[in-house]
Amino acid sequence: MADTLSYLGVPLSRPRVAFFELTSCEGCQLQIFNNEASLLDFLSLVEIVNFREAMTEKSDDYEIAFIEGSISRRDEVEKLKKIRRQAKVLVALGSCACFGGVNRLRNRFHDLDWVKKEVYGDFPVDTAEVQPLEAQVPVDLKIYGCPIKKEEVERVISNLVLGKAVTPPEYPVCMECKAHENLCLYELGEPCLGPITRAGCDAWCPDNRRGCWGCRGPAEEANVKELEKIMRRYHFSREIIIDRLECFGGFAAYVDKLRAPGRHTHG
Amino acid sequence: MIFKVFKKKELAALYELLAVNAVVGPVRKGTDRHNQPLNDFARVYSFADLALDYSTTVHSPKRFVLPYRKDLARFTVNEQKWRKETDLDTERPVVFFGMHACDINALNKLDKVLAESVYPVSSYIRKRRNMFIIGLNCRPSPQCFCRSMGTDSVLHGYDMFLTDLGDKYFAEISSVTAFNFLQQIKCRDPGPGDERQYEAVTAEKTARFTTEVDTSDLTKILDLEFYSPAWDRWGRKCLSCGTCANVCPTCYCYGVEESVDLNLQEAHKTRFLYSCNLHDFAKVAGGHNFRPLASTRLKYRYYHKHRGFVEAFEESLCVGCGRCGAACLAGITPPEVIADVRGKKKCVHGREEKHDE
Amino acid sequence: MTNRVTPYDTPGRHGRCRAGDPASFESSFQAEITNIYSLTAREKLYQIQLVDQEERNRFMFRPGQFVMLEIPGIGEAPFSISSSPLRHGNLELCIRAVGNLTNFLDRVRRGCSVGISGPFGTHFPVENMHGQDILLIAGGLGIVPLRSPLWEVLDNRNRYGTVDIIYGAKRPVELLFTYQYEEWRQFDINLQITVDQGDKDWHGSVGLITEILKERLNRDGDALAAKTCAIVCGPPVMFHFVCDMLIKAGIPMQKIFVSLERRMHCGRGKCCRCNIGSTYTCLDGPVFDYWSAMNLKEAI
Repeated sequence: MADTLSYLGVPLSRPRVAFFELTSCEGCQLQIFNNEASLLDFLSLVEIVNFREAMTEKSDDYEIAFIEGSISRRDEVEKLKKIRRQAKVLVALGSCACFGGVNRLRNRFHDLDWVKKEVYGDFPVDTAEVQPLEAQVPVDLKIYGCPIKKEEVERVISNLVLGKAVTPPEYPVCMECKAHENLCLYELGEPCLGPITRAGCDAWCPDNRRGCWGCRGPAEEANVKELEKIMRRYHFSREIIIDRLECFGGFAAYVDKLRAPGRHTHG
Repeated sequence: MIFKVFKKKELAALYELLAVNAVVGPVRKGTDRHNQPLNDFARVYSFADLALDYSTTVHSPKRFVLPYRKDLARFTVNEQKWRKETDLDTERPVVFFGMHACDINALNKLDKVLAESVYPVSSYIRKRRNMFIIGLNCRPSPQCFCRSMGTDSVLHGYDMFLTDLGDKYFAEISSVTAFNFLQQIKCRDPGPGDERQYEAVTAEKTARFTTEVDTSDLTKILDLEFYSPAWDRWGRKCLSCGTCANVCPTCYCYGVEESVDLNLQEAHKTRFLYSCNLHDFAKVAGGHNFRPLASTRLKYRYYHKHRGFVEAFEESLCVGCGRCGAACLAGITPPEVIADVRGKKKCVHGREEKHDE
Repeated sequence: MTNRVTPYDTPGRHGRCRAGDPASFESSFQAEITNIYSLTAREKLYQIQLVDQEERNRFMFRPGQFVMLEIPGIGEAPFSISSSPLRHGNLELCIRAVGNLTNFLDRVRRGCSVGISGPFGTHFPVENMHGQDILLIAGGLGIVPLRSPLWEVLDNRNRYGTVDIIYGAKRPVELLFTYQYEEWRQFDINLQITVDQGDKDWHGSVGLITEILKERLNRDGDALAAKTCAIVCGPPVMFHFVCDMLIKAGIPMQKIFVSLERRMHCGRGKCCRCNIGSTYTCLDGPVFDYWSAMNLKEAI
């Protein structure tokens, strides 16, 4: 493997990359190794120095850190801050890291002690309100999705190496869904967050006749207020709307506005 | 124009003659929640698959000439030098079986920009010239306002155009290829009875239109109403999702994506259809956005369709197929927007809910 | 009799083709970066030569027109030509590193291949300005598209009356083409430079372009309207103030020319990204007389 890379005569450095996880299912990291066809080319662009899921060697000398998962314990904040101090570029990998993800559903219960007791009984567990990485440290890049798309990580890496800006689509999923000429799920009687959710997934769910659950969070301009009206017009209840918006944490700010205060405290 | 008449069952024979080529036509894709059929254009493999009684397809036949995504070029990079190759696609003829007047008009309008103006787009032209189009008359649905746009009938751009006269078809023939095909099935010259019947059917169709758009002086009115609050009203509803542009038979704006392969030896340039309603449509390097508001982008779309294109080509870019309004979840329809900009409230049939402002 | 509809294209035209093939909408000239000069911390001047000598000599453009420059996998964008029309396919482009393509260009070295297509767009009608006094007003990067009409004027200096350049930048270190100011002045050109904010080495004027412009406009009084053509280029906010002043001073709108910039993918009137209202900046612009620009909604 050549250590010097270049493109059109422009010398490029091969970054040292590390992967870490906080509270997560580790599915996003798994995605990276799912595509054997391009794996070797991928590895020639970067030097992976730390990746618990895939290798035994460990080094703390890295430039780019990919972090999967959300913060749900106090010790994770320390771990995250330490990574931030080392990494030149900190990348939030997947919905948990970007928004808190499914884990964040925990926050809908305002009484965390009650939840802890329900789930773990008297077993002592350190647990706190779930937060995205951004709540504790500055995040340079976000790779959205639950799970992430391998192709997107590859594009991010090649863009970083080439010095190109990493720009996820600003438009919503509808754009990709319509380009596949799918029938609109609303017409078929399914709720869908496609009109407000950031694209980039290539309309994965709607292609399979599943309404979007908003795993990539809000598009650059997300007209949630209008979609809420639309969903009501199509006879979807408030609960369905809130459930969808809340599932992956990306629309947390909107959910707070939607939900009357004081509800759902004890499930 | 040469006219012919043939019995309805002969259409299947005509299909069989043409079916040695690729055939694209309207097919049933599903039913909506009110149990109404949803149709789209697709490759067909049997005459029985054709849903010739369709009203309007959900998506336009645009993708057959302007694919949503298309590789524009491939690059091979070697040190500081590179080589660019573009694809001159091999196009086989495609038979379009049963296209309505609005969609044929839409293709004619696209021709004006993509084939007949400066810098013609070669890939488009190749696809376009390999189309064999059989037009078909239609029954206007409540969403259609093609009559207002002058696109309810079509003068050219098809090989033959069929009008359903109950037990027979009345065919207008405009190409020698079409003429030769009709020689192979049982057909005859129309008699006075056929002609009366044709006129009656056409008149009945015209009477069926329920939606109208007042296009008189529209270019000037759009200019005068540039700061109308109507734009804000509709802009607040707009989801900026690009659905209208995707289902539109004439929206041709695009974006370009450039990517370098992981091996740093090849690069690709891909074109994908875009929409002027999307947030970053008018964003420039450095971050300035010339149209940051949904209302300004929505307005721009109407300006391009109903003003700019008229200025350039003496006709509107909108064919009044109503697909954008039907597909818009927020219920933004051109008849209502234009009426509102003109300062009139417009009642449009067939939609569930109107302004909830 | 075969029922196959005859394909329109002859088989020979199918398959992949080289970039220069005119059959392709994507056709472009192969070009090479022959020299790179740093002008400021952010802007560089690139000398670019079409590789094929015949194409190079045949390449004709008018001042104010632009080319599309492409680097594989990085991007393609429009750039005003900043060199003299007499130099044909030996182009000079002055480029500020702001986006993907320009940041990459900032790092390339001499000898790098680039794709050039064009020239595109409308131009400053300097050929109709013979006998007139010329007023070139530039703010910041706006000097770049003005340099080409300036070359044209210098190349035919005796055909024009007085020539004034009023050029403003934020700070002295951001001034472009400083090495050429003496050369320009030798052609009897009244070059006035101002900065928003001076530094310890700056002995020139500090202040807004409009202040210098006011003096210049007062100089000719009523004669101004009959014999002056103005070319204005700069950030959007500058257009308003400068053009307003020119019109109030009596210069007819159709003798004031501006160059506008928008995002573009094609330069050929197809992608619609550069539309202002419904006018294509790439086909109907980038150069507009002020009357036309004023008629464009949201233009400046």
